[in-house]
This record gives sequence, structure tokens and C-alpha cells, in this order.
Amino acid sequence: MKTLKITIIALAVLFGCNNLFAQETISPDRKKAIDSLALEKVRDLSKYIALVGSKETPWSEAQRVIQRAEELFMPGSEMGVSSIYRPEISYYKVREYFDRLMRLNYQKVNIDWYNIEYVSDLEQQPDGTFVGVITIFQRFEGFDKEKGLVYRDTTKKDITIYVKRKETQIGGRTIGFWDVLLGDIRVKETRP
Amino acid sequence: MNLLFSRSIISKKCIRYFYLILFFIVFVCHQSAFAQYDLGYNNLDASALFAQTKQLTQFFRRFNGEEDAKGNKLDSTNTQYRSQHLRSEFLSILFDKKNTSITDELKAQFIKDVTNEQNKKFLNFRGNNWFAEVNAVFNYQNRPVNILIYLELEHSGLGYKWVISNVYFDSFSQIFFHSNNNDKASSFLHQMSHEIDFMNLRKAFADPKDIDYYAPNEYLPDYLTLFFVEIKNKNLIYKTINNVKFHFLQIDGWYFEVNNFNRSGYNSGWLVSNMLKISESEKARLLKIYNHD
Repeated sequence: MKTLKITIIALAVLFGCNNLFAQETISPDRKKAIDSLALEKVRDLSKYIALVGSKETPWSEAQRVIQRAEELFMPGSEMGVSSIYRPEISYYKVREYFDRLMRLNYQKVNIDWYNIEYVSDLEQQPDGTFVGVITIFQRFEGFDKEKGLVYRDTTKKDITIYVKRKETQIGGRTIGFWDVLLGDIRVKETRP
Repeated sequence: MNLLFSRSIISKKCIRYFYLILFFIVFVCHQSAFAQYDLGYNNLDASALFAQTKQLTQFFRRFNGEEDAKGNKLDSTNTQYRSQHLRSEFLSILFDKKNTSITDELKAQFIKDVTNEQNKKFLNFRGNNWFAEVNAVFNYQNRPVNILIYLELEHSGLGYKWVISNVYFDSFSQIFFHSNNNDKASSFLHQMSHEIDFMNLRKAFADPKDIDYYAPNEYLPDYLTLFFVEIKNKNLIYKTINNVKFHFLQIDGWYFEVNNFNRSGYNSGWLVSNMLKISESEKARLLKIYNHD
């Protein structure tokens, strides 16, 4: 009887494990919803960049915005930045990137989007998390109070997105959902 | 010759026509894309960016005819999916136009070959015989050095990952370079060395530059292990990346290289920068070179 119990428990664990490590797929409709959610987060990030870059934003508000921006990312994410004349990549942690942005002396920052974005497939990593890359193009403009426009560049941003199946308890029921987080971002100055 | 010339003009006309279609689509799609995501777009001209092959994923999709002219991924049930017409148009814009060493005739041959209805050839993201080459900068003995890192996709756990499959570093190859092969004839441990407790090993180690002569005939230095040892010992410190390119040997009879062209105009992004028509034996030789065997 004891042996039977052990066998049943072992089988249950085995099936549980199989389920845990099962290869999941994301349907095309689900993929569209995930892409949309990821783009929403990218849009939020741009808003935060514009706010932090602007001198019109009070310091305490900028700190709050940086905190919100960090929450969009997987821990440890980095920005890899290069320019046309300096093609090698410089690396910045998300917090460091925002701190540097805050130190720039622009009265106002404008970020314009090009009407184009390109979304890769979502590929499964060895740990089961899905990973993809969204490419967007933006024009950054920095304004001085007296001189007006003092800096402008156009960058291609290749943004890693991580998509993970998670569960939460709502009213005693377990609800599954797909969580989207941003990862490393490759920022490359480009000529449109 | 005339036929070639006219074919080249036709091909150039086709490319211009395809760019015009892309340009037209930018304007037609502008409103719908705006409505779809509302990212706060303005009137910046995105036509060149639209034509750009923005990700290597897009290079694969365009090569295989798996997306439409707007950049939307096609369902495998779509009539356009992998169609010869769509592929021929996309393939014609996937070459670096500034590289004159890839002649119009070679391009035409390649496109004809991969779109041949009897034997269509596609790229496979998870397939073998394609790899990345990263030109990275490290600090080595207090000076910046360039090291080529080769990476391949490997199945692992529930998915795939890129793995470092090999490296090329000048300093490593110099260590194993011998200008005078005659030294090899006199560099050995004679066959009775065991009787003298290999006391003559001292002579072998006295000349470090020739120590590899004392290895078996089939010995080949493993640069990847050397690289890892130098990294682990903190002798090589990673600095940055200069450039990334991809080598494709997946298409029978062909080798090509894909580079990123960060420039204005319609011919930018990930494009074929080098192409060779090769036999199976040449392909094996090329793979050997890239693997540094």
C-alpha cells in the first residue's frame, strides 16, 4: 500500500514537472495583444525620457519618473549606445542612462516617432521565457532656453522584450496572464 | 553581352518599381498604423526606414517571402506566402548596391536559383550552416585588441540560445606560428626517454616557442579554450563591440555574408555584402576556415 502511495505521488510530481517544462506556444492573436502591450510600454518609456530630459520637470518628479521607468525593465537591463562617428557600444544601466539624461542641460526635450515599427517573432529561451525585439525610430531634440534647438539626432532603438506566463490570485481564483517586460536596448544613431 | 546588359536594366527598373511600391505603401498605411498603435507619430518621412531591412528577422522574412510589402508577417495559408513573385522582388533589394563585386548577373543567377519552382531554397533560422561573427574589443596586456567571436544557435532546454563556437585572435595564432619548420625535425623526445625517467623533458621546455612540436601529429590548438582561460584569468577584459556580421552557407551552391549598413536612402540595414558561388568541397573548406580547423 505504501509503495503504491509513493508511486502515485511520484507520478503526480512527474506529470507536474512535465507540465511545468512543457513547450508553450503563443497564438497569432495572443502575439498581437502582446506586441501591442509591449509597444505601450515602449511609448511609456519615451514619455519618461522626455520628462526626465526636461529642465521643466522638478527634481523630485524626475526621480519618481525614473523609478516608474525602471519598473518597465527586467532587472539588470542595459542601454547600449553608439553614434555614427563612434560606432563602438557604450553601456549604461537603466538608472545610469536616466541620471545622465537628467544631467544634460536641456530646457525642453522633444521625442518624435517615425511612423514605423518592426516586431520580431517571439522565440522561446532555454528557461521557457519568450524573447523578442521591437525596432522603433525616434528623433530626439534638445532645446536651450535662449538658443532654441541645440541638439538633434535620429536613433534606431532595438528593444528586447521578455514575455512570461504568470499567475495571480483574484477572489480566490488563480488567473494566468502574460507579463511583458523590457530588456536590453540597443540605441544606434542613424541617418533616416 | 547585350542580353546581359538589358537584363541588368530590367533588374534595375524592377528594383526602382519595387521601391516605388514600398514608398506608396508608406503613405497609404500611415493612417492605419497610426490608428493601430497611436504612438504619437508626426510627419517625419519614414519611407527610407520602411525600405530598410531593420532586423535580421526581416532579412529572413524577406528572403523567404514570409512578410508582405508593408512588413506584416504572412500566415502560411496566405497565397502570397513564400510566393516566387514576392520573393524575387524582395531578394532584388537585399543586396548592398554599392558593392560592385556582386555583379547583376550573379544576383540574377542567385535569385533564379533560390526561387526555382522545382527546387525552392529558403533560409532556416534554426538550421545549421549559418553563424554570427562579432568583432569585439578587449584589453589585453594593457592595450586594446580586436577579437573575432563566432556564435551559433544551439537547442537548449525549452528553446534556443546563441553559443560562442570559436574565436580568432592574432596573438593566439602567433603563439602557434612557426617560421622555420626544420626545427620540428630535431624537436622530439626519443623513444627511450622512458628509461631515463623523461629527464630530457627539460630540453623540451627550455624552448617554449616550439613546445607544440612535442604534441601528437594531429594536435590542433583550441583557441576557444585559450580565450576562456584568458578571460577567467582576467587577462582579457571585455570593452565593446565594433561590428556584427553573419555568414550563410545554408543555400546549396552559395556562400554569402550579411552586414548592417547604417546609411540614408533605400538601400540600408541588413544586406548581402559579399557573395560567392561555391561547390560542396569549397563550402567544406570555408566552414573549416571559419572554424579555424
